[in-house]
Parts: sequence; C-alpha cells; structure tokens
Amino acid sequence: MTEVTLSNVIKRYGEHQAVHGIDLEIRDGEFVVLVGPSGCGKSTTLRMIAGLEDISGGEVSIGGRVVNDLPPRERNISMVFQNYALYPHMCVRENLGFSLHIAKRPESEITSAVNEAAAILGLEELMDRKPAALSGGQRQRVAMGRAIVRHPDVFLFDEPLSNLDAKLRTQMRVEIKKLHQKVGNTIIYVTHDQVEAMTLADRIVLMRDGHIVQVGTPLELFNAPVNTFVATFIGSPPMNLLDGVVTENRTVRLIDGQELPIPSSPRESVQPGQKVKYGFRADNLSPVGHGVSDEGETADIALRIDLSEPLGTETLLFATLASTEIQCKMLNPRPVTSGETMTCRLALEKAHIFDAQTTQVIRSN
Amino acid sequence: MDRNQAHRNRRRMLKGLHFVGLFLVMSIICIPGLWIILNSFRPTVEIMAKPPVWNPSFTLDHYRAMFGGAGQGGVPVFSYLWNSIVISVTSTGIAVLIGMSGGYAFARYKFSGKSGYFVGLMLFRAVPGVALSLPLFIVFAKVGIIDTHFGLILVYVAMNVPFTIWLTDGFFRQIPKELHEAAEIDGCTRWQAFWKVEFPVARSGVASAAIFAFLTSWNEFALASQLTRSVGSKTMPVGLLDFTAEFTINWGGMCALAVLMILPALILTFIVQKHLIAGLTFGGVKG
Amino acid sequence: MRRRIPEWFVLLMPAFIVIAAVVLIPLIFSLYSSFTPYKLTRPSTLWTWIGERNYERILTDWKFWAAFGRTILFLTIALNLELIFGLGIALMVNKVTWGQRTLRTVLMFPMMFSPILVGFQFKFIFNDNVGLVNNVLQSLGSDAALPWLVDGKLAMFSILFAEIWMSTSVFAILILAGLFAMPRDPLEAAKVDGCTPWQSFRHITLPFLMPFIYIAMTIRSLDVARAYDIVQIMTGGGPARRTELLWTLMSRTGYVDAKMGLANAMGYVSILLSIAFTIYFFRKLSAARAELGMGA
Repeated sequence: MTEVTLSNVIKRYGEHQAVHGIDLEIRDGEFVVLVGPSGCGKSTTLRMIAGLEDISGGEVSIGGRVVNDLPPRERNISMVFQNYALYPHMCVRENLGFSLHIAKRPESEITSAVNEAAAILGLEELMDRKPAALSGGQRQRVAMGRAIVRHPDVFLFDEPLSNLDAKLRTQMRVEIKKLHQKVGNTIIYVTHDQVEAMTLADRIVLMRDGHIVQVGTPLELFNAPVNTFVATFIGSPPMNLLDGVVTENRTVRLIDGQELPIPSSPRESVQPGQKVKYGFRADNLSPVGHGVSDEGETADIALRIDLSEPLGTETLLFATLASTEIQCKMLNPRPVTSGETMTCRLALEKAHIFDAQTTQVIRSN
Repeated sequence: MDRNQAHRNRRRMLKGLHFVGLFLVMSIICIPGLWIILNSFRPTVEIMAKPPVWNPSFTLDHYRAMFGGAGQGGVPVFSYLWNSIVISVTSTGIAVLIGMSGGYAFARYKFSGKSGYFVGLMLFRAVPGVALSLPLFIVFAKVGIIDTHFGLILVYVAMNVPFTIWLTDGFFRQIPKELHEAAEIDGCTRWQAFWKVEFPVARSGVASAAIFAFLTSWNEFALASQLTRSVGSKTMPVGLLDFTAEFTINWGGMCALAVLMILPALILTFIVQKHLIAGLTFGGVKG
Repeated sequence: MRRRIPEWFVLLMPAFIVIAAVVLIPLIFSLYSSFTPYKLTRPSTLWTWIGERNYERILTDWKFWAAFGRTILFLTIALNLELIFGLGIALMVNKVTWGQRTLRTVLMFPMMFSPILVGFQFKFIFNDNVGLVNNVLQSLGSDAALPWLVDGKLAMFSILFAEIWMSTSVFAILILAGLFAMPRDPLEAAKVDGCTPWQSFRHITLPFLMPFIYIAMTIRSLDVARAYDIVQIMTGGGPARRTELLWTLMSRTGYVDAKMGLANAMGYVSILLSIAFTIYFFRKLSAARAELGMGA
C-alpha cells in the first residue's frame, strides 16, 4: 500500500514562496500527472516528494510514513529526470544495476533484476553501450529501466519526454502507459504539456502559481473546468471565450450586440447585468450538418470564415465573432473558401459561463 | 576577369605570408629548447669554442657527470631530483584533495558572498612569491620547518589550492546536478554520490588540475630558493644555481639538468593537454 | 530542524585553513614588520615600532620609484605584446588545415618551462661570448659581440624577450580555444552581408574572443611576479640597476641587505600591484561574460 499524501505542503525560497500549501492524496497504483505552465511549482512539489528539496512546511507521507526529513535514499522512490541523468561513465548494464550495487544486493539478484528490466524495455542489445552512444529514445528507456530495477514504492517522472522530438514523444508516451499497466506502481508525473497529461493520467492535478487549481480525471477537467484558466489550458485548441453581459431575458449580449442563449445549468445562477465570459470548445460549434447534432438545445450563429485548416477527417475553421478570434470544427469537411459565410450550430449544453471578475465557472447548485 | 585575377594573386600572397609567419613563430618557440638539448650533448670545449663550431659532436659527459653524483662540479642531482619528486607529488596530492572539495563547494552549493570568496581566494594566489618568501622565511625559521620537505610542501599546497579550486569548479559545474540527485535517489549518500558518480565523471578535469599543480610545484623557484638551504631539501630549480660559480657557468651540465627537469613536465602535459585547455576555459567562461 | 554548519563551509574549510596558515598569517606578520626597522642580523629590532617610516623611506627613494616605474612599464609592454602575439599566433594556427594538433602541442611547449629555466636558457642564448645569438651574428659576418646582458637597453630587451617567449603561449592557447568554440554562422552572415575580412574580425570575432582574452589575462595576472625568476637569473637586476624590477629590489633589500622591515614594506606595494592587476582583469572578465550572455 503506497499512497502518497501531501498535506499543506509549502516551499519557500527566502522571501519568495513557490508552493502555497498543497493538499493532495494519491492512491496506491494511481497515475497522477502534475501539470501547469512553467514556474507553477509542479517540479518543486515533485522534488519535495523525492527529497531533493527541503520541505518548508506541511507534511509529505509515502505509504503512511512521514518522510519530511528522510534523505531520498530512504524513501524507496525512483525518479526519471528530464535530461535522463544517466551516469556517463557506466555502460547501460552498470547504470541499471547501480542502485542494487549500492544497496549491496547479491550479484545473482542484481543480474536477474537488470535482465528483467532490460527485457521489459527492450534494452538487451544495448547493455554494454555507454550513454553517449545511445539515441534520445534509448536513453529515455534506460532511465526508465534504472527506475524500475529497484521495485520502488513510487515512480517520479520529471518532464521525461520534453527532450524528445514529437514522434518519439508519442511513442514513449505509449510505453510509459504500458509500463504502468505492467508494474502497477504509483506514478507521479510532471509535465507542462496538457496532451501528455490528458493521455497518461488517471487523475490530473492542474497547478498555477504554487496553488492547485483543479484535480480530477482528464475528462472532468476537459468537460467541467472550474475556471477560465483550466478551460484554456486543457484541450487543444483552447476553449473559445467571448466577453458579454447577462440580459433580462437570460441571454448573454456580446460586445457586438449579438445575443447567445445561456445554457440550462447556469441559467438560474446568473444575474442580469453580470459581466461574464461565454465559453465553448471548437468541437461544439460546427457548420450545420457538419458535426453538432440537432439533439438538445442549440443556437445558430452566422460566421464569416477567415481561414480554414484542413486536417483530413476534420477542418479547423477560424472566424471572428464579436471582435474575438474563435475556432470551430467541421466534420466530414467540404472545401471552404476564405471569406465564405456559414451558419454554425452551437451545442448549448456543452457551453460554459464564467464570471468575468473571478474567472470561476457559474453552475447551478 | 582582371578582378578575379587580382583576388587570386592576393590570396596566394596571403597564403605565402601565413606560411612564413607560422614557420617563424614555431622556430622561435622551438629553437631555445632545442638549443638546450643540443648543448647538453656537446663537450664543454666545443660550447666555449671561439669561433663557434657549427657541426656538433656528441658526448654523454654531462649526463655521466650529473648522475655520477659528486663528479664534475659535485652537484648532487639525485638528491635534488628526489626532493623535487617528493615535494611536488605530495603537495599536488594534498592540494588536489583540498582544492577539489573547495571547487565542489563553489560548483554545487549556493551561499551568499560566493563570488567574493572566490575572488578572495584567487587574490591569495596573486601574492608574489618573493613578497611572501620574506615573512615565510622568518616564520618558518621560528617554527623550525625551514629547510624541510614539510615546509615546502605546505607552501606549495597553499599556492596551488586557489587555482585547483578554479579548475575543478569549472569541471564540476559542467556535470549536471541531476547526476548526483539520481545517485541519491538510487540509494547513495551524498559522499557516495560524489565518489561513485561525480568524481569519475570529472576525473579528467581533476587530472588536469593535478598536472597544473604539479607543474607549479615542480618549477617554483622564488620561494624554494629562500626556504631550502641544504642538499636534503633543495629542489631542482634551486639546484640549477649550483652550476653557476662566481664568474663561470657550467653550461653543459646546466643544460643536462634542464633536460632532466623539463622531461617529466613535458610527458605529463602531453597526456592531458586537451583537458587542460578545456579546464581553463570552462572555469572562466561559464563561471 | 538540525542547525549545523553548512556543508559548503565544511568543504571550503581546509582551503581556508591552509591559506590562512601559509599566506595570511605571514602577510599579517610582514605587515607588522613593515612598521619596524627589523633586520635579520639584529632580531631585537623587531620590537621597535617606527610607524610608517619605512613607507616614507620607500616613497622618497628614487631607486624604488625607478624600479616601480620600470615594473609597470615592463608589465605593460610584456602583457600587450603577449596579447598581440598570442592573438596573431592563434589566428594563424586556426587557419591551418593540416597538422593543427601538432602545432597546438608545440605551442604548449613554453608553458611547461620553469621560469628559472627560461631565465637560464636565455642567459645562455644571449650570452655575449658563447650565446647562440652572437654566434649566429658573428658567423653572418658581424664582428662585434653584442653585449646583450651587459648593456642596459639590450638587457631589458633580452628579459622582455624571455618573458614574452614564456607567456605568449597562454594567450595563444586560450584564444585558440575561443576560436574553436566560435559559432560559424555569424561570420558567414557577415561575409554575405559584405564585410571585409578586417571588419568581420573587428566586429564579430574579436568581441566573441574577449572573454577568452580576459581569462588569459586573469590567469597571467595571477602570476605576474614570476618575471622575478627570469630577471634574477639573467641579470640580477643589473647592470647597475638598469633592469631592477620591484621584486628584485625587494629581494635584495631583504636577503642581501637583511633589511626585512623595509623589504616587507616594498613587498606590500608589490602585493597591492598584483592584486590590482588581478581584480582589474576579473572585473573585465565578468563584464565581457555578461555582455555575451555566457554568465551562469
């Protein structure tokens, strides 16, 4: 049982506070991704769990044991670093077996553990090479192998894929997910890339400025963002946000005078005259007959298309609505010419209303 | 066409100049050393001959005399060589240990006033040997370690520590700090992480720092000439003076000793020359 | 939790201790003795306090000022020429396409020589009777033996030659390292933009090399006083004090005349001189680094 618990964890660098009291419970075997823009404190949090940074306040426990003052070696964790941190003077075999040598395990045990890890990651051919003779993806695999050899309680990943090119990144993402399914350990994974977070995580912890903004499954964050920051950070393209004012007849009047109906869930929670941001994803606005179905409440908007990006199965359309650039998606696309005007249908149930002042989402109950 | 021709001529001329310049420079660098080596093999009569003899004859007399102990001139070269080796090797070893720990502190830890400490240490290296030799002479005489191996070793350690710190700092800084973090997560203590990971990676850098320290000790004269008096502690640079009498100098013998002095330095430097340059530049540029 | 001595301090401790013992304490002692009329031959004089009289004596002594001025002049000429020659050599070696490694190895040659050895070597080569230079000149038909180390001006030239021979390679090697590290793109862009070779050297190569030049200067300035070894061997400050530098004057005053107090006062002047040189170049180094964005 190796759940990881953070309660009110704080990190201070002199006057500057980098992490402001984080509470988080990570269950045994869970894959948790800490994500956020750079400088949000995600790496610092991970390094505090690893024992590489002192904890200025609060408590970190691993497997029910408070580890605040334990050095890394007594926490039974392993970590994959952004630049892999392979030992350049050792060959792959030595790199993999290093931690077991340090722990003075018997030679036979080391050999079998190293071979097992090598088999899992497909490193058998590379065992006698030095890290300098490996490609980026191979180094990445060795770093992961080094982490699994010791059968740690918790795996920590610190932006492990950011040094790889796009294609390899996708491939390694799959391997990491497979690895998790195979070994089943608790994993805490830090990244700034929301795609990685969405694809890998059981639960995502989205951070900003040293605070947790929202915790939830990838779909929870995608479908029910708590504020405009989550709405624009998660999902690609980011959610369209339009400034507007709530009117007497429960619509939102955009700055060009056009009115959009308010979806049913926040309809009773808004006040006339309240300044809001009207948000919807590109997927939920498409030319009539090209995506958004007629079921449920909808609203039709006439859009003049500025630009189109055909992607094959769909085409991304760029248009201007109420002086804001928005994007919408066209399924089963037909050729679109710039300047063409199209009637687009918005799936109202998937739209969100955010308070313009607090940026928080407005929802009934 | 004419302009092409002009450019071509100019390029050819520059090429010629380049070659002549290089040849001159290399000659100036090499000839003095070669002259010393050559003369260590020439009989004294020929060295002193007037008019000069240009086609040299060959003799091992000077080496024979040098290694024959109290032979010609009676310069105890073996003792000097032994003193030089003991003093240089010991002081290098200690200086590298101390300097490495200091360099590691500068490369890996954050603390206030760091650059101040760094420059301060360097300034101690800048104190001229002659200026230091005056008070050291008195202090060492009082403590009773003048004319001993220990005294000179101590001095050379202090002299070499700042520069060793400069060099090792540069090398340790090149090693990503994730390496020792990874080692600590793999179960090492900080001490183990250093010796099992960071030290082996920085080995070549440490080696070049050691060579520099060795060369400094091996070649030092200003302090050694005041702090050593007897055969039991004089080093080779001081011993070189033994070949000068009031009005005459035993050129041949001196050249032979010079060759003996330069040989180990030459070999050592060639072994690590690549790292040597890297160390100097990293220490400075990335500082 | 645990309040302990920080690790960095423990690591630096040995360095601090050994330097304090061997450099700092003697320097404090010599500072004290520079305010006494201390003579080696009469130890009791150590306890007579004469205030700043030694310094007064130095500052009013034309022999000291002559040596001081000569030292500054010597260093200025030597350092500048070493820089120019070093730069020139580095540029030439950089252009070589074949045998570059060998040339670089040869360049390191003088760095391995002990300064005292350099002194002896050139004392031999410039010897008016059996030296290489005069031998060559005479074989070429000149009848007079030039008194290289006896005539004041020629002696100064010989010493400068020895000093430059020994130290130019530090500059050449480090500047060469800089040239190797230099990115090619800006130079090629400049060529395409129509820069003459001189312009691209002046505006692109040279600024990039500045930090390397200052590293060389800093390393060199740590060791300016080793010229003492050369001068001491080649001329001993003679003839008739024509090549007397601060350092030889100091050593003569201390060891030959046994006036330790006075010599230590001179020592302090020379220490300040070295420190001034070092700090000056350290400053320049960090400024150049900051300008190129190389700083950590």
